[in-house]
This record gives sequence, structure tokens and C-alpha cells, in this order.
Amino acid sequence: MAVQSEPVRVQSPGGVKGSPLGSGRPVVGPSLLSRSTPYLLLLPAIVATLALLGWPLVKTFELSFQNLNKRQLILHLTEWNGFSNYKDQLTSSEFWHTTGRTIAFTTVNVVLIMVGGTLVGLLLNRLGKKMRILLQAALMLAWAMPIVAAATVFSWLFDSRFGVVNWFLDQLGWHSMANYNWYSSQYGTFFVIILLIVWQSIPFVAFNMYAGLTTIPAELYEAARMDGAGSWRIFRWVVFPSLKPFFLSTTFLEIIWVFKSFAQILAVNAGGPQGLTQTLPFYAYIQGTGNQHYGIGATIAVLTILMLVVLMAYYFRIILKQEDEL
Amino acid sequence: MKRQLIAAVGVAAMVVGVAACGSSAKKDDSTGAAKYNGKTVTAWLMSGSAPQAWQDGVKADFEAQYPGAKLNIQIQKWDGIGAKVTTGLSDNSVDVLEVGNTQTTGYAATGGLLDLTADKADLGGADWPANLNASSVLDGKQYAAPWYFTNRVVIYNKALWTKAGITATPKTLDEFYGDLDKLKTTAGVSQPIYLPGQEWYTYFGLLAGTGGQIAKQTGTTWAGNLESPEAKAAFQTFQKLQSYSTAPKDKDEATPEQTTVFAKGDVGAMIGLGWEAPDPKDIPASDIGYFAIPGATADKPSGVFLGGSNLAIAQDTKNPDLAKGLLKIMLTDKYEGQMAATGLIPNKTSLDSLATTPFAQAAIPASANGATTPNTPNWSNVENTPNPIKDFLAAVLQGADYDATAKKYDATMTQLLGQKQ
Repeated sequence: MAVQSEPVRVQSPGGVKGSPLGSGRPVVGPSLLSRSTPYLLLLPAIVATLALLGWPLVKTFELSFQNLNKRQLILHLTEWNGFSNYKDQLTSSEFWHTTGRTIAFTTVNVVLIMVGGTLVGLLLNRLGKKMRILLQAALMLAWAMPIVAAATVFSWLFDSRFGVVNWFLDQLGWHSMANYNWYSSQYGTFFVIILLIVWQSIPFVAFNMYAGLTTIPAELYEAARMDGAGSWRIFRWVVFPSLKPFFLSTTFLEIIWVFKSFAQILAVNAGGPQGLTQTLPFYAYIQGTGNQHYGIGATIAVLTILMLVVLMAYYFRIILKQEDEL
Repeated sequence: MKRQLIAAVGVAAMVVGVAACGSSAKKDDSTGAAKYNGKTVTAWLMSGSAPQAWQDGVKADFEAQYPGAKLNIQIQKWDGIGAKVTTGLSDNSVDVLEVGNTQTTGYAATGGLLDLTADKADLGGADWPANLNASSVLDGKQYAAPWYFTNRVVIYNKALWTKAGITATPKTLDEFYGDLDKLKTTAGVSQPIYLPGQEWYTYFGLLAGTGGQIAKQTGTTWAGNLESPEAKAAFQTFQKLQSYSTAPKDKDEATPEQTTVFAKGDVGAMIGLGWEAPDPKDIPASDIGYFAIPGATADKPSGVFLGGSNLAIAQDTKNPDLAKGLLKIMLTDKYEGQMAATGLIPNKTSLDSLATTPFAQAAIPASANGATTPNTPNWSNVENTPNPIKDFLAAVLQGADYDATAKKYDATMTQLLGQKQ
């Protein structure tokens, strides 16, 4: 130890020569500062997270145990009612229908996004420079489009009388589609919403996929091809294993994003027809803000968070396991 | 140099401020109006309610009567108004507010509205007709003052009706169907009537006209009543009328705004309010006619949904005297008369004669058959999106079985009407 520390002391430019005490001080000083630097740097982010996410979360949790409607809000009353909001929701068939619908909705979206995004990412990797830039620009525009603007455009595209989609289908020979009302049925509305969400989500997956692909050395492909592997087998045995962390993290991110998507559902058909396209976040909004039962809305929100936490716990387990293996 | 300038400006501002204080205090002492100085009354009116001249007049009269006080009129949008009124009453940002008559009881029950029972006579309450005042009263107490009312009538395109060979407006529903049949075969008519499937006000009126109820009360609980034979009969009339329209069955009169459809000039008629009449530059006013939706027999038109607004005062207002004074000015015959002149039904029958627009002449006779929504604090739960009556109409018009669907939506309504407050 002493032998190793000697040259360091000699090289240290600020060190006071010959004094062992003096040489110790500059080592202690910066180390305290440098030890605390990461925390200081993290501080703004932590403060922002706690103020903007943590505090509302605590409040939401608090509200979920209250009977809070417009009367209580106007008169500034606090009426605790224990678990009765939770009991009401967990025994309500509407809540469970909505939950099932949300899970199915999320599954369909995420599968389409991951498959579509992966294919576009692979395409980006194979395209020539000009076409690649063109496609990247197109993807970027879809990605950058504000959600409400995109939803408005989509609802016009699919308008029953003046929409270009119906016109196009009619021109192609499906004359029964001329005045088809996409929003009159659950599946029709979901079709439009899913198309919108998938369209806006593919760029993120595609760009990440492309970025990931550029890290795979060309030799790996060559070696696989030498062994006689076709495209599918290259993907299955070269690309997929190398990009497994990418697939995992992107899939989970997409699950979170799609599960909590709200603006698209509101803007396309406001949860209609007959409330058949309401998902959990929208249901919480209708019950909470729309009907002014803020306690019930908070309860649904907390239950939604719990569902996501369970999903995420699974994700973190995989991540931690992977880190252990490394 | 710069610093000196700033200091000079600051000193000058202080001097002026002190001088202003001094002079205003002096003036107040002399006029005796010190207690109103610097007080502002905030009034929320809904968009489209009061004409600008009415607002300017009320403001001028109020500020003249209470020297030093200011009136701040803010116009609110109907969309999402429930939550907005709740916050306004909660954080004390409004003193006097217009409340839709279907929402008044709900807010009265929250305790957010000032009890006006003692002021009723002073506000002119002796002359308010009972059916117009009903929505302002909860448990025998007056929580608002009726302001104006209106109801829907048939607005028709005279040129197209003449072209179809129709010489007089129909007096019975059967005559009305006959006219619509004629319009259907007339060249240049895209649809005899524009009636979207979720236009539940017309359905509500038809139901009220037959003596039926959309929800019925037993004891203290309310239940949906779409399963009743009256509701079914009213639906059949609504469906028959709707079958003459190519309007979407799953949309209401606001999406798209039916007046924009009617204004194109190829639609025979629509059922709407006075302000929905097309702009004269689209269709000249002389080509637009109005008549009450006919009833089964010629002696009585169909029932109508009586829409309208009340004026209320926030319980937490800091200036209850000023707020009451403002309410009194707003409800004087002068300003009620101005509301009537725009075609609305005023809160006193003695002012009905001022409502001379062609729309008002058709609407006022029908308003005698008008009904308001059930007088229960929870009614606004039903009207909040998703309104079960609208969803019910859309579903059955699109082919769902009446009885099964009625049962389903009655359950929804019962649940909404029974929610804890």
C-alpha cells in the first residue's frame, strides 16, 4: 500500500513537498466533493420527480380513500371512507370489463408495434443512403406529430361521409364502404385508434432497432451466411440474441405507453360508441373529472398503477437477473 | 444615469400612488360610497346567452348604482362546465353565475349556492311561473332565480316546402309525416329533415308530451324509466321522424353543428333553437319558417324539453349585498325584456309579448307543454358524457332490441341517479 501510494504523492502537482500531513489534505478534500457530486447532479432530477410525480401520486393515493365529489370539493370537506371505493370498483363488472378490454387493447397494439417497428428497423438497415434518409424523415414526422393533431386528422380520414378512406375503398370497388361509419361499432373505432397509435409508435421502435443493428459487427452476419443461414435464421440466431435487451426494454416501454394512452381514445370517439372503447385511464377520467367523483377516479387510477407495477416488477426481475449473469 | 432614472420613476410612482389614495379617500367620504371602492363582482355567463348590449347595459347600471364597484363579466363555454363551476365555487373565483337549469339542483345540493329564499320577493319572484321556477328550488328553498328559457321547434326551409307543394304547416304528426314524404320525393332535397340519432332533447320532449317520465321516483330513490310503455311509444315517434333523416344515428346535434348542415339549403327542416337558424347570408331570413313540433292531435303540439338558465350566487361570495344587487339589476323587466326580444322565453309571462321573433312565436305556445329534467341533485350525472340516454337512442336506432337495451340503460341511469354525493 505505502509503496503504491508514494509515486502518486510525488506526481500530485498541488501536493506540499515533504509534509505527510499536507499531502493528505488535498486527497480528503476533493474526495468528499467528488463523492457527493453524483448525488448533487442527481438532485434536480430527484426533486423534479418527487414534486411532479411523487407528490401527485401521494395525493391520488390519499384521494382514493375519500368520498370526494363536487359537494366535498366546494365545501372543503374531507370524508374518509376507508376501502369502500376499492370494494365498489373491485366488485363492479364495468371495472373488470374495462380492465379486460384494456389488456386486450394493449396486447394487440404492442404486438403490432413491435413487429412493425422491427421490420421497419431492419428495412432501414438494408436501405441505401438516400432512401434511408427519406424513410427516417417520414418516421420522424410521424413521431413528432402532436397526438391531438394526429387524432383529428385520423378522425377526418375515417369520416363516414367526407373521409378519404371511405372514398378510396369505394373507388377500389367496395361500394358498401362508401358511407361506412367506422365509429358506430366497437371494432371500427378500435381499428382507427389502434392504427393511429401503431403509426405513431413504430418510429421509436424502428429507430432504436436500427441503432441496435448498427452495433452488430458485420462479421457475425458473414459467418452466419457462410454456415448457410437464411434471413430468418440470421434474425433468430444473430440479431435477436444480440438485441435481446433492446427488445425487452422497448416492449415494456410500449406496454406502459399503450396501457396509459388517453388522448387518442378521447379525441377519436370519446370512448364511444356506448362506452365500448373506454380503457382504464379513460374510465378513471370519466368517473373522476367527467362525473366529478374524484375519489372514485383516484381509486381507478391507483388500481391502474398497481397493475402496471406488477407488470414492471416482472421486467425488473428480468433486468436484475441479466445483470447478475453479467 | 440609468439607476437615477429608475429611482426617479419609483419616487414619482409613489407620489402618484399616495396622491391617488388621498384623492380617492376624499372623494369617497364626500359621496359616501367608500364601502364599494375596489370591490369587484365577478359574473360568469355562458357563451351565447346574453347579447353584448345586455352585458354593457347591466355593467353600466351596476357600476352607476354602486359607485366604485366593478363588474367583471366572464363568458364560459358549456363544454366541461360542470368541473369548472365546481372549482369556481370552491376557490371563490365567481360571485354571480349562470347555471343551466338541469344542473341547478345539483349545485344547490352541494351547498355551494347562496340561499335566496328571503330575497325571492325582492327579485321579482312573485311573477315567476311555477314550471320555470321548479329547477331553482330544492327542498322548498330558493337557490337561484329563473333567467330565460327556450325550447326546440321545427325550423324549415320555406323554398323547399313550396317546391314540394306544401301550402300550410302541419297541425298533427300524421300531417307532418305526409309533408316529409312529399319532401323526400322533391328534387333538390337531400333529406326531408336533419335529425341526428342522439338528439335526446327531442326524444325527451316527445316523452314528456305523452305524460311519461324518463326517470321515476319511488320514495327517495330514482330509477331509469326507458322500459315504460310511454318511453317506448315516444321512441317510436322519434324513430319515425329520424327515419326521414340521413344524419348519423350515433351523433348529436352538435357534431357536426346541425345549423351548418341545414344552412347548405338542401335540407327540408331541422329541430332546433332560435340561435340555430342559419345566417341570413346562407339562407335569407324570409325563407326560414318555424312551427312547433305537432302533436298526435291538432289541439296540442308535442311536448318539449324546456332548456334554460338560472342565475345564482356563490355561497362564499365576499360581497353578498353587491351580488344580490347585481342579480336584481339583471332580472329587472328592462333586461328580461331584452332577453325576450332575442327570442327567448322570459321569466315572467307578462313579458312574453316582447318575444316577437318568428321563432319565439312558434316556441312560446309549445313551452306550455314543456318539461324540465327530473328535479334531483344527481340528474347532471346522467347528462355528463357518456349520457346513457344518447347511447341508448343510438343503439336502438342502429338496430338493437328496444326492451333489452332499455333495461340495460335503465340500470345505468338508476346507478347514476343513486350515486353518493
